[in-house]
Amino acid sequence: MINLIVDSWWVAYRELIKFFRQRTRLIMVVVQPLIWLGLMGNMMSGITNNPIAARALGAKSYLDFMTPGIILMTVLFGGVFGGLSIIWDRRIGYLEKLLASPINRGAIPLGKSISSMIQGAIQVVIIVAIASLLGVHFQTGIFGILLIILIAMLFSLILSGLSLTLASIIKTHETLMAVVNFFMMPLMFTSNALFPITVMPKWLAAIAKVNPVSLAVTSIRELTIHGWGWREILPSLSIIIILDIVFILISQFAFQRETVE
Amino acid sequence: MEKAIEVKNLTKIYKGGIVAVNNISFYVNKGEIFGFLGPNGAGKSTTIKVLIGLLRPTRGELFLNGVDIVKHPEQIKRDTGYAAQETAIDDRLTCLENIYLQGRFYHLSREEIEKRSEEVLKMFDLFDRKNNLALTFSGGMLKRLDIAEALIHRPKVLFLDEPTLGLDVQTRQTIWEYIRNLRRRNQMTIFLTTHYMEEADALCDRVAVIDEGKIKAIDSPENLKQQIGGDIITVNFSEVSNGKIQKVLGEVRQIPQVKKVNLGRDKIYQIVVSQRGDKIIPEIFSISQRNGININSIRLKRPSLEDVYLHFTGRTIQEKEESRESLIKTRIMKRKLRR
Ligand SMILES: Nc1ncnc2c1ncn2[C@@H]1O[C@H](COP(=O)(O)OP(=O)(O)OP(=O)(O)O)[C@@H](O)[C@H]1O
Ligand SMILES: [Mg+2]
Repeated sequence: MINLIVDSWWVAYRELIKFFRQRTRLIMVVVQPLIWLGLMGNMMSGITNNPIAARALGAKSYLDFMTPGIILMTVLFGGVFGGLSIIWDRRIGYLEKLLASPINRGAIPLGKSISSMIQGAIQVVIIVAIASLLGVHFQTGIFGILLIILIAMLFSLILSGLSLTLASIIKTHETLMAVVNFFMMPLMFTSNALFPITVMPKWLAAIAKVNPVSLAVTSIRELTIHGWGWREILPSLSIIIILDIVFILISQFAFQRETVE
Repeated sequence: MEKAIEVKNLTKIYKGGIVAVNNISFYVNKGEIFGFLGPNGAGKSTTIKVLIGLLRPTRGELFLNGVDIVKHPEQIKRDTGYAAQETAIDDRLTCLENIYLQGRFYHLSREEIEKRSEEVLKMFDLFDRKNNLALTFSGGMLKRLDIAEALIHRPKVLFLDEPTLGLDVQTRQTIWEYIRNLRRRNQMTIFLTTHYMEEADALCDRVAVIDEGKIKAIDSPENLKQQIGGDIITVNFSEVSNGKIQKVLGEVRQIPQVKKVNLGRDKIYQIVVSQRGDKIIPEIFSISQRNGININSIRLKRPSLEDVYLHFTGRTIQEKEESRESLIKTRIMKRKLRR
């Protein structure tokens, strides 16, 4: 168990060195939320002048409403990198090297997940900072923000678990991207990340309510706009944690089998 | 002598039904450099991967220093080092970061890694470039770094899958030198695969000729060459008279080491001797002189592993390797594309 954790850390460490070394990617990490929040928030700012829309959003400005959605969207797409990096490692023979070493096999997916989680956390911090500069006021203060970061990290764990599991079956980048997008886009657009459930047609609202993305968005939105609404947050958080456990176990299982032909 | 590797009746059949290794048995002594010599697809890499526990054998028993490889794969991993056929270096990390992580994956402490990485990087002449990104390394440097990494945990048995694939002659020779040093200084057992005849000849104490998943012969390079017959002396007489030549050849046949005299065209004759052809040449000279015949030219040819290969597989290695060049080219292309 100790070995699993230590080995996972070194797998994650490798990804993190590379993350901080890729300057373009770091710049994108800052620029992307800036564009989303700045542009979209500004474009839609008039919407809250309409009292019905304002009530549907449940927020003073669209930016308040949208920030949690952007946070989720960022970690959603960040989770895919775990799977992609496994496929990359298989290509360059690094995966074989890892498997030939005495590390715990489970450390390979776990390490990749940990690095995705840390990268996700960094991105969330940047988004929160930018949003604050643009006038978003986080009702629950610093502790609320810490909880927001934690929820985002836990959510990214589901996604990396999914992409890592897929990567143990799918052997090419292109196919993995296609399959992941197949899940990703619908997950995003059938959630309340960008539009409130109350304005959705019935069938979509039904899907949005059970969509895990919505669960995370609802919790984060609660913490951002209203306050410590544990009644909203706890059930969602429990489901997210259950999904985490499920996907970690599946990805662990997938890697215990890896290359044992 | 103690055995470092022992393989009994190993068969590996891949999922698609491809029989990559077909019922082979062999052993490697401790401190030996042992080579697998064979063309593309012979089953060399497959054998290594089974030996280091990356692949499960379909059938057969395998032991590394007496430990059952199939039953205790985790135990043998600490004792084996492996440099794959394709160098597996993360080129977005520096040389030192690559080797540092490798050390961590083998559960070494920071101090141990720092000490040993300096040692191996110096040995492989990479120490000056330790802080450079692997992206800036040449193919030969990457290969050296890959082998250096395989040494960080001081393995007892080192597996090198085609350690000089696609490298130029000079780089190849420096790598041979490193391999010899490893054995000399650390008494390491080394198992390597190659399809270069010279490499097996220059490095290995014993060689297994492998083709289509089967071992065709195992012995020292010297003995293998002996087995297929001795040296060949080619003589070109300047005399026209056949009678005189026959008289000389008759006397040559009397020399105990001479096994056979082949009649050639244009007064060129092949004399096959069991051993030390260089010592027979003066005798042939004196016999000719005594009979008043001059020799235009005389040539000694030792059988090469090339001939051994031909003898045991019925093909030259090139015939099997037509696509080798293009294969290496596409590999290099792929490597470039990845960047
Ligand atoms: N993962 C795999 N799945 C199915 N077949 C495989 C796999 N790997 C190798 N083979 C097949 O097994 C046979 C032996 O392959 P192997 O890689 O061991 O040869 P090799 O002697 O190392 O050749 P080379 O000199 O090209 O490296 C080949 O026919 C190859 O096509
Ligand atoms: Mg091979």
